[in-house]
Amino acid sequence: MSTILKLENLNYGYEDGGYKRQILKDLSYEFEQGQFYTILGPSGSGKTTLLSIIAGLDKQESGKIYYEGDDLDKIGLYKYRRNKIGIVFQQYNLISYLTGLENIELAMTETDNSIPKNQKEVAYALLEKFGIVKSKADRLVTKLSGGEQQRVAIARAIASNVDLIFADEPTGNLDTATEQEIIKIFRMLTEEFGKTVIVVTHSNVVSGLSDHRVLLNEGQLIDIQ
Amino acid sequence: MNFFTRALKNVTRRMSKSILLAITFFLIGNLVIIGLGINNASEQAKVETRRKMRAVVSYEVDYQAFWDYADNLPEEEQQEAYKNYPQVKMEDIKNLMTDERVKTVNIVNSNMLYSNGFETVPLNNERENNGGGSITYEDGTTVEYVEPDLRLQTNFFPNMIELEDNMYEVVEGRFYNQEEVDNGAMVCLITDKLADLNNLRIGDQISIDLVGRSEMQYYQQSGITEEDITMTLEIIGIFHNNEELDENSDEYQWMSRYNSPDNIILAPALAYGNAYYQMGIKQWEYGKEQNPEYYLDAERPTPESYTYVNEAVFLLDDPLHVDEFVADHQADLKEYMLMDANNDTFKKLARPLDTLSLFSNIIVWIVAINAVVIITLVTALTLKTREYEIGVLLSMGVSKMKVVAQFFVELIVVALIGFTLSVASGSLIAKQVGKLVMDYQVDTEKQYSDLDDQNNGTYYWGDTNYFTELSQDDLLAEYEVQINPMIIGEIYILGIGVVFISILIPSFMIMRFNPKKILMNQN
Repeated sequence: MSTILKLENLNYGYEDGGYKRQILKDLSYEFEQGQFYTILGPSGSGKTTLLSIIAGLDKQESGKIYYEGDDLDKIGLYKYRRNKIGIVFQQYNLISYLTGLENIELAMTETDNSIPKNQKEVAYALLEKFGIVKSKADRLVTKLSGGEQQRVAIARAIASNVDLIFADEPTGNLDTATEQEIIKIFRMLTEEFGKTVIVVTHSNVVSGLSDHRVLLNEGQLIDIQ
Repeated sequence: MNFFTRALKNVTRRMSKSILLAITFFLIGNLVIIGLGINNASEQAKVETRRKMRAVVSYEVDYQAFWDYADNLPEEEQQEAYKNYPQVKMEDIKNLMTDERVKTVNIVNSNMLYSNGFETVPLNNERENNGGGSITYEDGTTVEYVEPDLRLQTNFFPNMIELEDNMYEVVEGRFYNQEEVDNGAMVCLITDKLADLNNLRIGDQISIDLVGRSEMQYYQQSGITEEDITMTLEIIGIFHNNEELDENSDEYQWMSRYNSPDNIILAPALAYGNAYYQMGIKQWEYGKEQNPEYYLDAERPTPESYTYVNEAVFLLDDPLHVDEFVADHQADLKEYMLMDANNDTFKKLARPLDTLSLFSNIIVWIVAINAVVIITLVTALTLKTREYEIGVLLSMGVSKMKVVAQFFVELIVVALIGFTLSVASGSLIAKQVGKLVMDYQVDTEKQYSDLDDQNNGTYYWGDTNYFTELSQDDLLAEYEVQINPMIIGEIYILGIGVVFISILIPSFMIMRFNPKKILMNQN
């Protein structure tokens, strides 16, 4: 297995009431290609902050992040987000005035990665793979249930032909049955599509089904058996 | 799903917001159309009126300015100033004629003279039928006198404005040429009616008396003979004068024959100078003999001395070039010389239009500025509600410029819809409002202006016939608010400009957006 994402001596902190709170302390870690990771940790431990840094939404104070050996600073954060990763949020974060299909097409259009010419058919097929049939794919996303919206969000995350998927509490708003279905999809992404999935979660159900459980504790990532 | 398609989807799927914004643009568009429509109509009316007028500019001495100057001089300097009285110089006229906009120039002198041996065309008016040619005093005594019966029009150039305007049309023969002008050849053109009446043909000669025979007694004391007062001209052309007199007017009933357009004879200026010189030199010598002290410094007259250049009237190639021509040459004019296109009169007549034009311009600017403020505020407020969407797009790696472009396209699409709808309604409203404000403006002008009521507001375009007669009604008749493609184009350009400026501040806001903060807050 090759390393897809390497974190090297990451530091990050912020001012909180005149006191500097250090979230990441010389954090180093390597994520392998095609694996399903869950990052666990108590509330306020900085899980989401870590995710936003490794997803290119924020910048660490010091340290380096390498994607497939390339420094993120060289790739550029916008390009990294557009071409290398997909992000799934707890609130789904779909564009509300677009249909499920159009949300997928949006990701396909914006990326610089090669996308098949029959974009629409590919998008329909992708959604169907995640349980969104054509009739639902053509509905505005606001007309879909929470679970359906999250499936669309996951489909969008991989629609741009990326290898690395980040998810921040993706099942936080879903019932248990739907949570199970979403986990199945994540597993499918790793097993069937060979993607790397890194999920920040509180859920033991989700973490229990991942390949690697990693704890963020006192600014360090520690593998849990 | 590029930013353009996204923008269209947003506009069509968030219909209520789009409609509200379109209504805003629609209202703005109506006001702009009213402003632009009225402004355009006012400017167009002036241009059209100008276009219909003769493209003439007069060049003359600014007597008022000279008198003002001379009156303020000490008495001893005044005499000197009057000796150096400003004059219209031929070299300056020739210089102005090199301007390619000049078609021809009239330096015309009209001399009322007497036919000798041929009949002039009668007017058959009350003056001729009832006592013309005599004066009856209160005591009943009647004195007969001989009245001038023709008009000799001379020019310093082998062309005339009247020929260019087709007022005069040479129907036979030709007009005098440059050589004949330079030499003062004794040639002339007569009207077709005068030729028919006297059976005159090209090559015939006619005699004209410079003074009335009844006055010979006075001239004879200077040694002037009947031969000296007679000029003989060879007919080289016959022309038709298209000028017509109103035979029903009061003025016509009391006109002399020399007022008749049919009794005009055209000749080179120096031909008249040569003829007048024959008697003029004798008068001068007699005067010198009688009062030698007055003639100590006097120069001996020449034929040119009797061809006084009073005023030059330039005919230009286009009425719309008149202002430009005056502006181009005004600075180079010699002291106390004046170039007049009678703009003061035109400006006075055009005052209601100018007021409307100014008023409508102000409206357009106020509306445009308000539109920028309103649209900026609306867009800025909209940004707040769409912060989440922007955060999502940025998290997907969509560039901030593309986000700005999407917002710009959304506004442009809605603006185009609003402005397009406003073109239909705005043109109707603009016509009504334009008429209403013009009527009000004219009423106000009539109440407060110093227009001469005696001539019902009619002004003559200049002091001579070369300027086109013009009334305020002529000017206002050209005023019609019409929404033409040019205005529609201006509305769209203005609209795009407003949207462009309006998006600037929201763009800065977008540039400062941080996707992490937005999405964290959302979560």
